[in-house]
Amino acid sequence: MEAPAVGERPKRPLRRSLQLVAVALAVAVAFADSSIVVLALPEIFTEFATTIEGVAWVITSYNVVVAVCALALVLAVHRMRARLVLAVGALVFLAASVACALAGSLGVLIAARSVQGIGGALLLAGSLPVLGEIAGSSARGVAVWTAAATIGAAVGPALGGALTQVFDWPAVFAVQAPIAGATLLVAFGAHAGATQKERTGAPLLPVAPANLCLALIFGALAGTLFLGVLLVINVFGYSPIQGALIVSLIPAGTLLASPLAAGLSLALAVGGGAALLAPGLLGLALLPSTDIGYAMVAFALCGVGLGLSVPRLTTAVLGDGNDIGRRGTLTVGARHLGLVVALAVVAPILASDLTASSDVAVLNATAVVVDGRISATTKIPLALDIRDVLDQASESEIPDFTAVFEEHGSETDPAVRRVQDDLVDAIAEAITRGFRASFSFCALLAALAIGATIVFRRRLAP
Amino acid sequence: MTSSRAAIATLVALLLAAATFIVVEIANGAVDAGSLAVRNPCDPRAPFPGQGFDAALQRIVLDGLDGAACELDATREELVLSLAPRSGAEPIRWDDETIERAVRAGLLEAIDDAEERGSLNAVVAVLLREVVERAPVQWLIDGGQGIADLFG
Repeated sequence: MEAPAVGERPKRPLRRSLQLVAVALAVAVAFADSSIVVLALPEIFTEFATTIEGVAWVITSYNVVVAVCALALVLAVHRMRARLVLAVGALVFLAASVACALAGSLGVLIAARSVQGIGGALLLAGSLPVLGEIAGSSARGVAVWTAAATIGAAVGPALGGALTQVFDWPAVFAVQAPIAGATLLVAFGAHAGATQKERTGAPLLPVAPANLCLALIFGALAGTLFLGVLLVINVFGYSPIQGALIVSLIPAGTLLASPLAAGLSLALAVGGGAALLAPGLLGLALLPSTDIGYAMVAFALCGVGLGLSVPRLTTAVLGDGNDIGRRGTLTVGARHLGLVVALAVVAPILASDLTASSDVAVLNATAVVVDGRISATTKIPLALDIRDVLDQASESEIPDFTAVFEEHGSETDPAVRRVQDDLVDAIAEAITRGFRASFSFCALLAALAIGATIVFRRRLAP
Repeated sequence: MTSSRAAIATLVALLLAAATFIVVEIANGAVDAGSLAVRNPCDPRAPFPGQGFDAALQRIVLDGLDGAACELDATREELVLSLAPRSGAEPIRWDDETIERAVRAGLLEAIDDAEERGSLNAVVAVLLREVVERAPVQWLIDGGQGIADLFG
């Protein structure tokens, strides 16, 4: 069967719509996988009794492999059949997702995540031309791919958090398998072999400025997603589902910004988006308290910033549909490269700052207890019990003092309750400050994206 | 207004809102939020409030800890953590003998101050001096509850 010509309305709309949804979901999941596991890390950390550096590789391995494979595929993807690339990618992604869900050790999980990265890179590389074919035009395919990529990247942590809370961390990977399976069916569907030959050979240098902006913005996105989610759940103490709802302000802002982006020039949309992303991240760096309202405003600003800049940049990078496989693969590589570089910088900064802020938290908490307006007969045993809780707490979470304070009368004595509230605030605020340098670095990446937009404003669209 | 101008106006409004948000955060203490909030023990501070023996005892102990921390060039909180060495956040910087000497000196000075202020009668002050001079520091910590019960 021949593929419809560009601009021709597709036949059998229901079937094509289902195919479109299947591939779009796979694209969204492949992008979400950059961050989907972040909320499952505490469970993985505990189950495999590993180190923070070790468990971080569950995220890093996927992003590094996607970046490397995508950039390598740029050299060859235009010589391959897009449906075959999509099929192989979906098959590898499916198998690796199952392997991740069944992994019995951290080494196996990291290996499976690396293989999943290979599948993700192939899937993303092959998906653009196929989406264009299914949708009836490259422009419609690009629109679907861009929306799936943006939303997928933004909802990743929230989705993973909800799955982890309702089921367990393997569920994060198990749900990806049927999505990859559906894409495999689409790739091997009735239109197999109908992939059009791409016109190729045009240099990719003209799309470098837009890809540079995307890399910087996705580096900043690491701050919004990874750090923001860790802050809300591990420091502020919200459940993964509550955290998912709070962080969903990012995709909500992204969706709300789309109509606004359409009314702006490309440079203004990208520069304006980065100029909202930067204060959003700066706002997270400068949280004055653990009041979730501040963080919610900051997340919404980040979401609007992403919604203004990323879809327009993606459309500019992918252009009019010529050479779309190479261009799409290049932009996948650029985005993940930005994420990897940001993670490589942020991880050691955060680890070091959290160690220092933990010391500050203990000193501030000690001051709260020592100065607490409670009797010595309550204060001394309470202080010794708090010390025991602190000694037993794991590095990755703020200890729960509820039981200790209840034992010493917090439910009946307002003064004890006040000490409890002050103690929790003192610890959470000190740990929150430990995120400041990391968020500031991500805000700097967003500021660099503003600079790049100004410098390359006439060359963002090739 | 064209849609383009409306979009630009909306973007400008959003940028202003973002700048306002940062200003509001700074105005609400963002710069110092979460920073080290312990005081210099050598500076005078308001006495622990309240009436009765429990409050008087806490005033003496807290003043004593301040005096000891000042002598050791540490904060009161670092000293307290050193007295409870299982909490491993801060390394212990002094040997037991140094801590005991500083704590005893600080407590004795605080008892003298409390007696001078009239917060303690002479008999209780003498008893407390005897306890502070002779009891092991760890016993003072663990037994604090018992002492308070005895007098409270």
